[in-house]
Amino acid sequence: MERRFQRDLSSLPELSRFVADFLTHHGLSPSNAYDLDLILEELFTNVLKYGSGKDEVLVGLTRDDSLITIAVREFDAAKAYDITRAPEPDLTRPIAERKVGGLGIHMVRQLAETIRYEYKDRVSTTTITKKVSANA
Amino acid sequence: MLEIKVEDEGRVTLKGRLDAASASKAREALRPLKGPMALDMGGLEYISSAGIGVVVETYKRLHGEGAGLRVLNLSPGVRAVFRFAGLEQMLAIE
Repeated sequence: MERRFQRDLSSLPELSRFVADFLTHHGLSPSNAYDLDLILEELFTNVLKYGSGKDEVLVGLTRDDSLITIAVREFDAAKAYDITRAPEPDLTRPIAERKVGGLGIHMVRQLAETIRYEYKDRVSTTTITKKVSANA
Repeated sequence: MLEIKVEDEGRVTLKGRLDAASASKAREALRPLKGPMALDMGGLEYISSAGIGVVVETYKRLHGEGAGLRVLNLSPGVRAVFRFAGLEQMLAIE
């Protein structure tokens, strides 16, 4: 399944509905929604913060047995933004000394099986795989 | 959709989804409040890194004022995000 989303935070509820539709379509448990919502929100908001593309963002969800592939793609991107190169936040520091930022990508890393990035012909694509639990 | 209710004695209840779209609403509601504070997340279905950012900001502000922050009634999904953020051992979670 693929769907296009406006480059705006107001798209987040639609992203969540897209995940719910996908799980229903594949007969997968709704309990998988939290992790998929979280991955998609973090990827999508990173595009809003750091992306350089134009127009809508294309999100794709595909299933191969228990493995879900999530692809977030922006078009006419002036430059690459490779989340696999983003530094890890220092989570050992006391909260009062913590810097803001980097946490979303860290969470994606915690949840994902694999993370791949490609920038080609001004198209910027981040692809994540995530295992899901059994059918509903 | 996020609902925030300020109760008596520093208790604040959060319901719904605390995500990047609702983080500013939460930030505006919490910013004027003095500590000590207890964030009751029993009705919170979902939190993302943006929501965690609001909790961390609130903790830092209250800590600077010499007051504490407690976080109550986390669902398993929300607790997992606190764990990913390295906060499970650092915050007072009940």
